[in-house]
Amino acid sequence: MMSLCLPATLDSLDEIGKYVVAATSEAGLDTKPAYGLRLAVDEIATNIITHGYEEAGIDGNISISAELTASTLKIVIEDTGIPFDPLSRKLPGEDILNLPLEERDIGGLGIFLVLKGVDDFSYVFTDGKNRNIFVMNLAGHN
Amino acid sequence: MAFDAQLAFKEKVAKITLTGSLDASSAPRFKEVIEEAALQSPTKLVLLMDSLEFLASAGLRVLIFAKQKMGATVDIYVVGSQGPVLGTLEMSGFHHSVYIQDTYADA
Repeated sequence: MMSLCLPATLDSLDEIGKYVVAATSEAGLDTKPAYGLRLAVDEIATNIITHGYEEAGIDGNISISAELTASTLKIVIEDTGIPFDPLSRKLPGEDILNLPLEERDIGGLGIFLVLKGVDDFSYVFTDGKNRNIFVMNLAGHN
Repeated sequence: MAFDAQLAFKEKVAKITLTGSLDASSAPRFKEVIEEAALQSPTKLVLLMDSLEFLASAGLRVLIFAKQKMGATVDIYVVGSQGPVLGTLEMSGFHHSVYIQDTYADA
């Protein structure tokens, strides 16, 4: 699929979602893994736009690309916002997830959902760019 | 599908019908509707989610906000949620704090 480059604003989430839906459809992923991938990409894109650009007072773009092989669908998001490794965040454990909502902190759920939704997630900072990489194994998911 | 949140009140029960995609771009609209509902001090919050097709953590955070804004005594009902949206609620532990139902008697 052709890659997509969009302004790093929350309005771009809709286009990013459509791109992932098209990629998962082309890959023949079932509904549940396709949704998990879309959710994971949405969460990371939201973090990039909100924390990497808007809160830092930086304008820029976010690009997304998809690579389909016989065994995997790989989605890569690239940005030039503030370097940030999502995997550096502490994930909520069962003790937090079982808390009543009135006692819950509002943070930490996004990365948790990313890791639950994809078969592999990785992050690298290279050539001045954040690269967030999502991989779905096709065997068993279609 | 574009997000929409429609609020209706009946006998101190706030019902919000959610449609479309609830992510960080649409969560502020949902939060506005929660705040509007909270002004009328409801005893229950019923979220009709049959047509909610996508739910990201930004939407979950508004549910936490709703519970904290309205108070622990205001029960939240999630009605008609299914498939991966329901899966996200359960994975995140929200089923411990909200009533998840297929239908709501007065919906």
